Amino acid sequence: MTLHQAFEWLEATSVGVMVRESQWGFPILVAIHLMAITLSVGTLVWFDLRLLGVSMTRYRASLMYRRLTPWMFTGFGIMMISGLTLLAGFATAAYSNLYFRIKVLAMVLAAVNAIVYHRYTERRIKEWDDSPMPPAGARSAGLVSICVWATVIIAGRMMSYTMF
Amino acid sequence: MAFFAWLEATGVATTVRDSLRLTGALSSVHVIGFTLVTGGALVANLNLLGVLFPGRPPIEVTRPASRGIAVGLAISALTGLLLFAPRATVASVNWIFQLKMALLVTAILFHIFVHRRVARSPRHNHISGEFARSWSTSMQRATAVVGLLLWTGLALSGCAFILLE
Repeated sequence: MTLHQAFEWLEATSVGVMVRESQWGFPILVAIHLMAITLSVGTLVWFDLRLLGVSMTRYRASLMYRRLTPWMFTGFGIMMISGLTLLAGFATAAYSNLYFRIKVLAMVLAAVNAIVYHRYTERRIKEWDDSPMPPAGARSAGLVSICVWATVIIAGRMMSYTMF
Repeated sequence: MAFFAWLEATGVATTVRDSLRLTGALSSVHVIGFTLVTGGALVANLNLLGVLFPGRPPIEVTRPASRGIAVGLAISALTGLLLFAPRATVASVNWIFQLKMALLVTAILFHIFVHRRVARSPRHNHISGEFARSWSTSMQRATAVVGLLLWTGLALSGCAFILLE
C-alpha cells in the first residue's frame, strides 16, 4: 500500500466521512485543534525561552520543565487527536498540499529536536540547571523548538487557505 | 459605519482582500501572536492559582508573562487590523467579533489593574498578619479563575469568529 492509497483509505473511513459531512463537526474540530495548539505551544515557548536564557531565569530549567510538562502534553495529545481526525476528512487534499508536507516535516524536526535534547543535552542538566544562561546545546534546542513550532502554526493556517 | 466603509476601500484592505495567500500569511502570524498571548496568560494565571510554582512570589512569573502577553498582543493587533480592514463593515456588526473585542478589552484591563496588583506580595499591598495572608491567597485564586475564564473566552470567541464568519 502506497502512502497515497493509505490516505485514500483514511478518507473513506467512517470518521473521515463524518468529518466531511457533519455540519458542525469540522468547525468544532478546528476550534479544538487551535485551542490545543495555543495550550501546548503557548506553554512550551516559556520553557524554550528559559533554555535560551531570555526569560524566568530565576527558576531552574528542570523545575520549569516538570511544572509545564502536564499542560504541554495535554495540549499536544488533544492537538494530535483532533489533527488526525481532521486529516481523515480531507486526507487526499492534504496529501498533495505543499503546506501539509511542510507542517509534517516541521513536526518531525520538532520531535528530533526534543529527542536530541532529552538524550544528550539534558543528561548534564545538573551542571547548568541554575545557570541563567544555559550552554549552547540547550540554547540551540530552545531556538529550534520556537522556529519549528512557529512553522507548524504557519503551515497549518496556510493549509486552510490553500486546500479548499 | 462610514469609517468602516472608508477602511474597507483603502489600498491596504484591497491588497489583502485580493490575495488569499496574503490573508493566510496574516492569519498565520495572527495565530502565532495569539499563542503568545494565551500562553503568557495561562502561565501567569496558573501560577497565581498556585499550580505552577507554589511558595514563590507570583509576581516573578507575572512580570515576564505580561511582557509575553504584550508582545503577542502587538503582533495580533497589527495582523488583526489588517485582516479586519477588508471586511470591516461585515465584521463590525458580527456579534461574535463584538464579543471577542469586549472580552479582549476586559481581559487586558483585568490583567493590568487587577492581576498584576494581586500578584504582588501581601507586604507590597500593605497587608500583613495571618488573616491578611489567607485573604491574599483567596484573592489570588479568585483573580486567577476570573483571568483564566476571560482569556479562555477570548480564545474561544476568536476560534468561533474564524470558523463561523
